[in-house]
Amino acid sequence: MSLSDLKHSLRKFEFPGCAKEALIKIEQLLVGRAAPTSKQLDIAMDIISEFVFCETDRRGNRRGLNPLQELQLIDIICDYLSACTNDTTKNTIFLSLFGGMESQRKLKVLSILASMAVSASSTPVLLAVGVWLQQMGCSSTQSLQLVENVIKDHFYLNTSNQSALKTLATTAPQFVSNFITAVTELYMHDLQRPKKMPPKNLLEIITSWVYSNPTLCMSAQLNPAALPSGSIPMAAVTPLAGLIHWCALAPLYIDEDTEMEELPIKKIKLEDEKPSIVKSLPSKSLTESELYIKLHLGVLHSLRAGRRTHGPPTAVNAQHLAALTPLVQAYAHQLLKHGLKLHTDAKLQDCLDRIGQAVQVALANGCVYGNISNLLAALDTLPENRLLRIIIKSHQQNI
Amino acid sequence: MNTQNKSTALSAELNNFIYGVSRRNFQNAPDLTKIGISLLRNFPAARDAVLEYFAMVFHDAVNVSINQTDYESDPSANGSLESVSMIGPELCNMGESWAPFIAPWCINLIMDIATEKANLPNATLQNTDPVRVLLDITTQNLTLLNSDERAKCIDMMLGCRACSWAVGWVGRAEPALVAPRALALGAESARAVLAHLANHPPALYHVRAALVDLFQEAIKEDSKADKKREVIPYLLNLASKSDIVLKALTQDIEQTLTDEVMDRLCVVCAAHRHSGPWEGVGPSSLVALLLRSDVHCFLLLLKHAQRNLFCRQLLEYLLQKLEYECLFPDANIPLVMSAAEEINIIREKLLIGNQLEQYSIARILILVSYNLPSEFVSTISYLLQYSRNDTTLALLVRIVSGTISMHTPGDGTDINMDTERYQNFIKTGVEYALRDAMISDTQIKKYFIEDTVTKDAKTYLHHFCLNIVKLLRWERSGRVSALRTRWAARAVEASVGRLGAALRARAATLRAPTAAPPDMRTCHALAEVLDNIDMSGTKSPPPSVEVILKVVQATVQYFFRCINEKDIMSKIRGIQTASRLLRKLCLHSKLARAVALRDLLETAMFREDKVFGSRTVVANTISSPRDWHNEELLIYMNQKHGPITQLTQSHTSVFHAGIIGKGVRKRDSQDGEDAPPVLTLNNELLMGALMSCMDGNSGIVEGSTSISLLLVELVSPDVMYNGLPWPDEDFTKQVSIERELYMRCAVERCGVARAALRRAARARPALCLASALLRATAASLLHRARAHLDRHTQSPEMARELAALTELLSVMTLGQLLPHPLSHILELAPELTPSEIVQVLRDCIWNYTRDHVPSPALFTCDSSGLHWRDPSTCKPPATYTDTLRLIIQKRISKLGHMYPIMFLNLEKDS
Repeated sequence: MSLSDLKHSLRKFEFPGCAKEALIKIEQLLVGRAAPTSKQLDIAMDIISEFVFCETDRRGNRRGLNPLQELQLIDIICDYLSACTNDTTKNTIFLSLFGGMESQRKLKVLSILASMAVSASSTPVLLAVGVWLQQMGCSSTQSLQLVENVIKDHFYLNTSNQSALKTLATTAPQFVSNFITAVTELYMHDLQRPKKMPPKNLLEIITSWVYSNPTLCMSAQLNPAALPSGSIPMAAVTPLAGLIHWCALAPLYIDEDTEMEELPIKKIKLEDEKPSIVKSLPSKSLTESELYIKLHLGVLHSLRAGRRTHGPPTAVNAQHLAALTPLVQAYAHQLLKHGLKLHTDAKLQDCLDRIGQAVQVALANGCVYGNISNLLAALDTLPENRLLRIIIKSHQQNI
Repeated sequence: MNTQNKSTALSAELNNFIYGVSRRNFQNAPDLTKIGISLLRNFPAARDAVLEYFAMVFHDAVNVSINQTDYESDPSANGSLESVSMIGPELCNMGESWAPFIAPWCINLIMDIATEKANLPNATLQNTDPVRVLLDITTQNLTLLNSDERAKCIDMMLGCRACSWAVGWVGRAEPALVAPRALALGAESARAVLAHLANHPPALYHVRAALVDLFQEAIKEDSKADKKREVIPYLLNLASKSDIVLKALTQDIEQTLTDEVMDRLCVVCAAHRHSGPWEGVGPSSLVALLLRSDVHCFLLLLKHAQRNLFCRQLLEYLLQKLEYECLFPDANIPLVMSAAEEINIIREKLLIGNQLEQYSIARILILVSYNLPSEFVSTISYLLQYSRNDTTLALLVRIVSGTISMHTPGDGTDINMDTERYQNFIKTGVEYALRDAMISDTQIKKYFIEDTVTKDAKTYLHHFCLNIVKLLRWERSGRVSALRTRWAARAVEASVGRLGAALRARAATLRAPTAAPPDMRTCHALAEVLDNIDMSGTKSPPPSVEVILKVVQATVQYFFRCINEKDIMSKIRGIQTASRLLRKLCLHSKLARAVALRDLLETAMFREDKVFGSRTVVANTISSPRDWHNEELLIYMNQKHGPITQLTQSHTSVFHAGIIGKGVRKRDSQDGEDAPPVLTLNNELLMGALMSCMDGNSGIVEGSTSISLLLVELVSPDVMYNGLPWPDEDFTKQVSIERELYMRCAVERCGVARAALRRAARARPALCLASALLRATAASLLHRARAHLDRHTQSPEMARELAALTELLSVMTLGQLLPHPLSHILELAPELTPSEIVQVLRDCIWNYTRDHVPSPALFTCDSSGLHWRDPSTCKPPATYTDTLRLIIQKRISKLGHMYPIMFLNLEKDS
């Protein structure tokens, strides 16, 4: 069937219908053979542009979808994805719909789609989004934008869905793993001034995810995505390194005073949410620093679970860990400038302890890849800490 | 499964929503709205779509509301309206994190609606329910935004021309943000926004702050002068379009335009005045602005007009324009109204300002007075009270005549009423001034100890009087054309009664000898005012009887206050004033004369007798009275013994040991026995006052007649109606001697009465009516002289009797009661012995007068209106003169020289 015929048959439908039909046609075009030809790909892209996203009309003029139509489109895509039985087909269509990320409009639709999938706990869509995240690279701008939108929707605007979010770790672990990886890129980054801290409810959910599913962090690596034939799978990056960053830096960045102020507000919120006489769970009333401790423990557990019986370690990049050192050193310099002693500063020692623990567990479980000796050398430049000293010494001997 | 359920529930909702919305029908809007709200909560990503749908709902609801008629205004009747009422609270309560989405949506929606309905009147649109809900949502969410976002939203809204009302409305939440931004717009848009903003009173402060900031910025000295060149013309342009801006700019103008600012402003003006944007800043536009501004601006202008030529020209221009504008009926000029509100400041300035200020303010006040009669009245009152020099008083004249001359008399039957209107205002003003001055004085008296008041301090009433007197003097001079209509005099005349009451009150309070001097001066001033008033009724309606009586009484009181005055100059002056007043009052009113005479005499004889040297009627020859009980008094004890004839005046019966009711006679009381002299200063002054009551045609005779009658009445009321005849001499002995003795005593001890009798005697036939008094004296003389033996001629008692006789004879002779030969008894009297006196008294005087009743009928009126008794026709028969003749013949050696005078001509004739 030629392109013109295809278009002609699709033009019989008005907007929502044409998108539905177009998806079927695209599936026919792209799936089933060894690999679609470049011509078929072009036709598919043309159809997607005209009939799915309605970016142009038949004469090539620009038009677009209003928010309501976008919603209709999302509904259709969602229906289609849910109905799709084959993972490969699903991922193929999904990536071709949203793969070329030059269009902000498409990204917006994708964001809404992802957010809706989270709202509705729609596993097939979430898994597809997870694959998309992995393929785009979790730290790419598009991914970050998507993740930011999801966070805004579910951790700022709608704060009543925490229990539903917690179950995502079991239903769509690949998505969650990639999501966390991207999230770790958003917060506590050294480039941000002032330091952006994750909102507490986000931290709670992540802690709950990591703490209760030690394998979660590795799930994206353990379950390779079903990609269309001929495509290049992108390596999944675990969130472990990022989380180690968070846990290690948390003592340095959390301002305890503000946290104290926050406490009563949180309590009021809890009371509002639960007007019953049942006491809120103790885990709910954890302060942020306590959450980080819990998260740290979860990360250590995950590191232990990340041990691979065969093949090279993939869990944590040594270079990524080494990136911690300049941040800690900067803090130490600040202390010195104010004339404080490094080995008596509780926050700094706490931070160094956590780095030491994480590094030790990771190294002991063989989770670290990359230049370990560089890592050790970097750690060696950190301020004096007994645990760290022992770890560095013992591992330097091993190498 | 929970998640599965939820998932399907969400999908179902989504499907319903999408399907419902795509039908583009608002019948099921409430249901869809519910779904939409639920979607917002559970599926925030769908917010764009949901909000878009809400926007559609709002558009529809606005359409419905506008077309809705009043009687079907049930919100549940229409789906869209119902939805709107659901959406409103929902979006208001979404919380802080939603505000960044909702606020811009609201603003876009408002702008869309406003643009779409731009042809509708703003008020209609604003009052529809959906728009109100929308504005509420906007306001609510704007407050949740941080300042950057808020500013962005407001900028967004300001960019839209059609929705300035919405900016104004929403801006009430954030006036501090909106006001300065609005000023960055063109004058027309800024006006609209500020007008709406200013409906909210707290926002006014920010509007003002923004304007003042802009202004201060504009005149600040820096390098960007060129950029700021347009600011001041812009502000003025804006002010010309918007009352709010004008009000904000001119509020507390003294603080805004301080001297330094003015200096700087002059520099800026000089630099820019010839540039393009300043073309509109001409005197005419400034005057138009000033007309609408408040009076503080005017005062500021006045202040600067002293130094600045332009300000002076502007001032003149402004005043001319004001005067011109006020000529139109119903002209309601804000500046004039403001002046009326701040009239106290203005008036004060009028008193203390320099010449330019005074004259300019007077011009403004004329306009105020013309527009607001109540202010006219209060201005008159104020100036009369507080004016302290000729200039300010002249300003009062100027204001009054200016106001009157602005009035165009209506052509109608009530033209009199029309012109009388202003006269009534002036009258009221004078009355108010008088009242207020008196209130101020009593207040001051109440709150200040009298010693702390300096001697020179004048009371307010005093000042008021001085002002009035000055006005009247100017008026009388006839040289002040503004006073030609005698408005001042007429107004004062109308309040004569009050002035009189005031004088009376003051003079009366001063009866106590410890009178404070300042009050006396006030009395003098009040009297001077009264003195300056014309009460004749020739130029204006005469005052009512009541008023005249009041003034007469006050004047009498004042007269006696002056009699008590220590300083001789002010005493004489005051008495002259009082006399003049009395003359004026009595000239046209007999009643006034009667009252004045009675008051004068009564007071002089009984209340102020000390001053005139009189002694109490029953002289203080006895020991001070004890506090007798009724039971112990002889008079009552006598009554117990059965019915005895109560002689007249018997309660004062004099026994050798004392007086009934008064106790034992004092031993040593010779010094007080002499009759007080008649010719004293005070007596003469009183007589002058009495005489001045009797001016005019036959006034003296009538007046003296009244005096005679009054004397009788005052001395012994019970003989008032006994008539003129002298009864048989024996009769007095038996019946009325007690009374005669008392009457003689009373008259003798009262210099005033004696002086008055003399005056009466001069005005023949007035003395006739006092014949009871003469009779009493004669009777008592007869009685006492008989008691004396001849050898007692030198005793003090006899000397007194002789003096009394001399006085009696001189009065009767003066009154022509004793015709020719009898009249010379006066010259014989000192030489006669008591027995001779008895003879002469009985035979020549008593019998003659008994037979020739001293009545006015004896006196004929000649062509010149003079009453007199022709000596040629009333020669006494020989029976009355024989005794005399015999006595003279018997004592020819001593009295011979009198014989030819008395009898030769008589002989010849007979």
